[in-house]
Amino acid sequence: MMMVVLGTVLGIFVGALPGISGSTTIALMLPMTIAMGPIPAICFLGAIYCAANFGGSITAILVNAPGDPSASATALEGYKMAEKGQAGLALGMSAVSSAIGGIVSVIVLIFAAPMLARAAYSFGPPEYFALALFGLSMCAAIGGDSAAKNLIAAALGLLIATVGMDLTTGVERYAFGVMELSDGIGFVPVLIGLFAVGEMLDQAARRYGKAQIIFADAARVPGWAEMKKCMRSIWIGSGIGTFIGALPALGATTAALIGYNETRRWSKHKEEFGKGSIEGVAGPEAANNAAVGGSMVPTLALGIPGSATTAIILAGLIVQGIRPGPHLFTEQPTLLYAVFASMLAANIFYLVMGLSMARLFARISLIPPAFLWPAVFVLSVIGAYGPNQSLGDVYVMLAAGVVGFLFRRAGFSPAPLIMGLVLGGMVEETLKQSLIIFGDDAGSVLAGFLGRPIALVLFAVTAAGLLWPVAARLFRGRRAAQA
Amino acid sequence: MSVSTAPARTSHVNRISAALAALVAAAAFAGTYLFDPVPPGLPGLGAVEFPRLICVIILGLAVLLALQEPGAPDPDNVAPDGPALAIWGCCLLFLPVMALVGLLGAGALFLVAAGWIWGERRIPLLLAVSGGLTLALWLVFVKAFRLTLPGGLVFGG
Repeated sequence: MMMVVLGTVLGIFVGALPGISGSTTIALMLPMTIAMGPIPAICFLGAIYCAANFGGSITAILVNAPGDPSASATALEGYKMAEKGQAGLALGMSAVSSAIGGIVSVIVLIFAAPMLARAAYSFGPPEYFALALFGLSMCAAIGGDSAAKNLIAAALGLLIATVGMDLTTGVERYAFGVMELSDGIGFVPVLIGLFAVGEMLDQAARRYGKAQIIFADAARVPGWAEMKKCMRSIWIGSGIGTFIGALPALGATTAALIGYNETRRWSKHKEEFGKGSIEGVAGPEAANNAAVGGSMVPTLALGIPGSATTAIILAGLIVQGIRPGPHLFTEQPTLLYAVFASMLAANIFYLVMGLSMARLFARISLIPPAFLWPAVFVLSVIGAYGPNQSLGDVYVMLAAGVVGFLFRRAGFSPAPLIMGLVLGGMVEETLKQSLIIFGDDAGSVLAGFLGRPIALVLFAVTAAGLLWPVAARLFRGRRAAQA
Repeated sequence: MSVSTAPARTSHVNRISAALAALVAAAAFAGTYLFDPVPPGLPGLGAVEFPRLICVIILGLAVLLALQEPGAPDPDNVAPDGPALAIWGCCLLFLPVMALVGLLGAGALFLVAAGWIWGERRIPLLLAVSGGLTLALWLVFVKAFRLTLPGGLVFGG
């Protein structure tokens, strides 16, 4: 239990720091777990994983600087709530919805892991391509002034993802002989630049004094009316997060962005989105924490990591002499109960800590801008440099900061660009793999995709999602003309 | 510190954004001709098709954006004035200063300089916050997380 508490505190702290994500921390802590037994080790690492996703929402809400990539969707609405003086409420809802999402996914993990693992196993390159396309189509509605701007941002993210060595052919693209570009552009420096540095540059141009900072209300457990309003969003986010987390290679960031868009789609208060919607905090936060439990499904049931972080946890298990796989459920149930219990406990601990410490966190918004924003910049430089200890990443962060500033001024949302960057590699590789499977001519490709029902359903939902707003607008225009 | 009084920009934002996006797409498309050729015989898509497809999509979306009605100018979009440009300049200077005095040294100097330009005039407080934050960053990132931060010419590394 002590390991769970320590892991939770550490997870919240590092989750809030831009650039030091849960996966980096777990990688740094892994050597220390060798001396522990397998159960304390997995409890410690699992707690960090659970808490870091929540920790990222703290700075996302307070200063529009997501501490973890999975909190980038939370920043869209959470920061707007903070600007309206509702930072405490946003933090409270973030804590509650994160805990609910995390607990739901652990319960699903306990009862449905083997079944979910079989479903995940049936996803091949065509299904992944269709899912990635679906995720990208969601970008049309994520923040920003218009769908065209969002899709341009997403396409720019896809383009940035092509920088570096093409895995299939070995050809270097857009590297121009620069060694740092040969490895591609990481999304952590881009994320930090777009959100944190872009916001800092914008704040420097505006330079509102302290009077502009609205007093944050105290953090509080959301009231019954607020919970009732957000429960649909929380369930949507929890379901999406658990499912997407169970699919290898997607992770909490994708889950959060899709969760945000689906929350918006099904909300009865769509007009609040973009102006500080509490549902826009609840949905993605439930999704990104539900993805934690979901990602443990293929990790434990198949030995295939569900995310980068679970890949490191998998390494930690192997170091402890445990080989995950289907046999784990029958041969080592004690270990599994420990994993489930530690994740459940971590969710409850960070809920309590988040609510009790959120008043303290919310006071960040009262720090004079002359101190706060330069500190954010310095922290961003360290955050961009830290993961790969590369100055090239700092240059990328600065360039992304300029782009982030220009995006703000032009009414573009930064989230679609991140989505494109995160999914870009997968879109291209799965498309290539699908074309290799089906053949090069259009007829065989079409026939191939028609034979994949899961992919077909996803394509249909994607098309409906993109065309429905256009059709609805045309229909309304025709009705107005007739009237 | 009062709000910057520089005039707000008028808005042809959509057309300018569309033009910039189209420029980026065109440059990226042209850049694909600089890629090394793919070895013959490899199945499936080569290295250039996907980036070119994305560039074409961006061009199409840029046309759509240019045709959209421009929105009203955002009154909060004030143009950056002298102090704002000075702060941005400090951000740019951060890297060469870091090469000289290391990341933590550059950070400490940046906190004082940017804070002063931002409007904080209490020098002792600026120095205290700068020193305290630098110490905290050193404890967390160097001592606890064992990150090796650049030391620059002066402090080595």
